[in-house]
Amino acid sequence: MAGELEGSKPLSGLLSGLAQEAFHGHQGITEELLRSQLYPDVSLEEFRPFLAKMRGILKSIASADMDFNQLEAFLTAQTKKQGGITCDQAAVISKFWKSHKTKIRESLMNQSRWDSGLRGLSWRVDGKSQSRHSAQIHTPVAIMELEIGKSGQREGASKHFLQKNHDPQVESEFLCLEFDEVKVNEVLKKLSEVEESISTLMQPA
Amino acid sequence: MEDCGEPQLDAKSKVTNQLVDFQWKLGMAVSSDSCRSLKYPYVAVLLKVMDHSGQVKNKSFEMTIPQFQIYEKCSKLVIIREMQIKITTRYHTCQKD
Repeated sequence: MAGELEGSKPLSGLLSGLAQEAFHGHQGITEELLRSQLYPDVSLEEFRPFLAKMRGILKSIASADMDFNQLEAFLTAQTKKQGGITCDQAAVISKFWKSHKTKIRESLMNQSRWDSGLRGLSWRVDGKSQSRHSAQIHTPVAIMELEIGKSGQREGASKHFLQKNHDPQVESEFLCLEFDEVKVNEVLKKLSEVEESISTLMQPA
Repeated sequence: MEDCGEPQLDAKSKVTNQLVDFQWKLGMAVSSDSCRSLKYPYVAVLLKVMDHSGQVKNKSFEMTIPQFQIYEKCSKLVIIREMQIKITTRYHTCQKD
């Protein structure tokens, strides 16, 4: 039976399933589903520790956001451990991380973002023929609508990796703002300040 | 928002607000329980907005750097251009405050 677990082909599918559940918020990927789909000839008792081992490895790699050197060193160490992984399995894991790293990282970043995000921005410029607040005629006014909402987050993570739940997406709030010329310039000045800070931060050390 | 050329506002919100204050923060998420090596910068914004009744509310949100840069670029290029077009066609009256 151990030979069944050493095969590479189903391992790729297993890692996809683990990633979908752990990082991308796909619910309903149970131990039994993975076993029956990918390792049907392996008993649940034997499958469980194998799944835990792969889950732990994937979690470690994702948590450390390993680059390819770190990944190679880590996987080599895993092949030398008692009860570790085979070289073939290491190769499958390596290939998986290389092709899924960006997407997994993006999901992890979203999970860590607890404040609302800006989901969208729409705008229009009107030429107001009359203003309540002044006697000016044909004052341009920018109207901007911001779509603000929270992305999916983990809720009440349980001890079991496969039982974490993800909040469904919360509905957006639409915030409509009106800007006259003066306000537009003020805001754009602030945006330039932010951009300047970003440039300073991003400068190579 | 990839294309910032054509304004397409069909406002979903029924009420417009005035922007009273705009505060920003450039942050760096270093680590979290789900990822020990996050290392991503983000822009956090706090808007103080006033509705027609004079009530002031705070609205806050975060953006990634690429997201911020897209919105900033669109705001600068498109809104400024549109404002200028409208300004040059307006009928001049006394403009001194």
